[in-house]
Amino acid sequence: MHNDIVMVIVVGTALAFDFTNGFHDTANVVATSISTRAMAPRLAIAYAAALNFAGAFISLAVAATVASDVVSSGAITPTVVFAGLIGAISWNLVTWYFGLPSSSSHALIGGVVGAAFAAAGPDAVLGDGLVGKVLIPAVVAPIVAFVVGGLAILVSYRVVGRLKPGQVGRGYRLGQVVSGGLLALAHGTNDAQKTMGVITLALVTNGSLAAGADPPTWVIVSAASAIALGTYSGGWRIIRTMGSRIIKMDPAQGFSASGAGAAVILTSSHFGFPLSTTQVISGGVMGAGAGKRLSAVRWGVAGNIVTAWLMTLPAAAGIGALTYGVTRIFGTGSVGPIVVVAAALALVAAAFTRRVRAGTPVPAP
Amino acid sequence: MLATIVDTGALLKTIIASFIAGVGVTLIFSIAILGASRFADMNRDGRPAAAVAFGLLGLAALLAAGAAVAVGIIVMTRK
Repeated sequence: MHNDIVMVIVVGTALAFDFTNGFHDTANVVATSISTRAMAPRLAIAYAAALNFAGAFISLAVAATVASDVVSSGAITPTVVFAGLIGAISWNLVTWYFGLPSSSSHALIGGVVGAAFAAAGPDAVLGDGLVGKVLIPAVVAPIVAFVVGGLAILVSYRVVGRLKPGQVGRGYRLGQVVSGGLLALAHGTNDAQKTMGVITLALVTNGSLAAGADPPTWVIVSAASAIALGTYSGGWRIIRTMGSRIIKMDPAQGFSASGAGAAVILTSSHFGFPLSTTQVISGGVMGAGAGKRLSAVRWGVAGNIVTAWLMTLPAAAGIGALTYGVTRIFGTGSVGPIVVVAAALALVAAAFTRRVRAGTPVPAP
Repeated sequence: MLATIVDTGALLKTIIASFIAGVGVTLIFSIAILGASRFADMNRDGRPAAAVAFGLLGLAALLAAGAAVAVGIIVMTRK
């Protein structure tokens, strides 16, 4: 009975994480299109949501577990997964509150690593996997995207620099619709699969599913729906940061950032080196700005984003570990997760109410 | 030690291919815009031969960009 309740809570929390993932990372896909007026804001969001949903079905070769390379499988229990998800959701909401793009995948990995550490000690964390699969790509991705975005904008200005701005703008806006669509598909494929993997892992550890089994259809459909709904809700705060606070974008820069970003993400997927969508696009946007001129980039905003990147893993890990500790105060049953979920919902409601009373902070463009 | 933790071969391939794909796609699409824009200009100026040449250039670049998008979708489906 207790196990079933914990499972329901874990599945609900995983879908809530998936929702925040779509909500939080919408900006990666649509910010450049909205900023350069390639698409109307609501249309861009609906387009991204539909492609996020479709992307979740494109490849069902589930990344078995997002945590399998960084945490010892013996340390993973439904409670560890739950605590990790709470860590990831919390960090996603904190960075959303401050309008900072950060990696939802890194938040999830950080949360699970912290919870596993709290549950089974340092031996539960696979250091080599953490460095090789997470930390090194986290450093490489934004640098590569920055340089590629910078070179791309130099190349495009070189080719179209003497043409009429109206024709050029229309062309790049059209290109952004396609490159943004590719980004949305890639995001749906990568990130919805992580949630499917987490739910499947929890079902296996609970004995509800055989080890190595494919995710059930209801898991695939619910994960695809949650990320699409989250995307449709639109994280306007981060969209504003990505679309206009880092640089003021022209259509060529918007295409260079999103086109180069899509190319970098898909190329890295092909070679089995998945990079963070958030970091690639943020790096691409900064590169596209710096390629025009260095002073075009608001480096203060860029610094805040980099700080959020650096803090994502340790902060989510800390919250995940704390959450695991709190649940264990109430024993190994379902009381701990129920108390944590109730407290988390109360905190979110209080923050939301406070925000509403203070007035709408960032209106939809 | 880092080399044993990180698949440096895959990482290097990723970096090089990212540069080629990222800059390449932008270059190809920019050429498509150049072709379309010059095609319109040449047509308006009554220079049909040049218009056809730029039109073909733009079309070829557009097809190449479309092929790049198709490759991207294939990469996603084969993950």
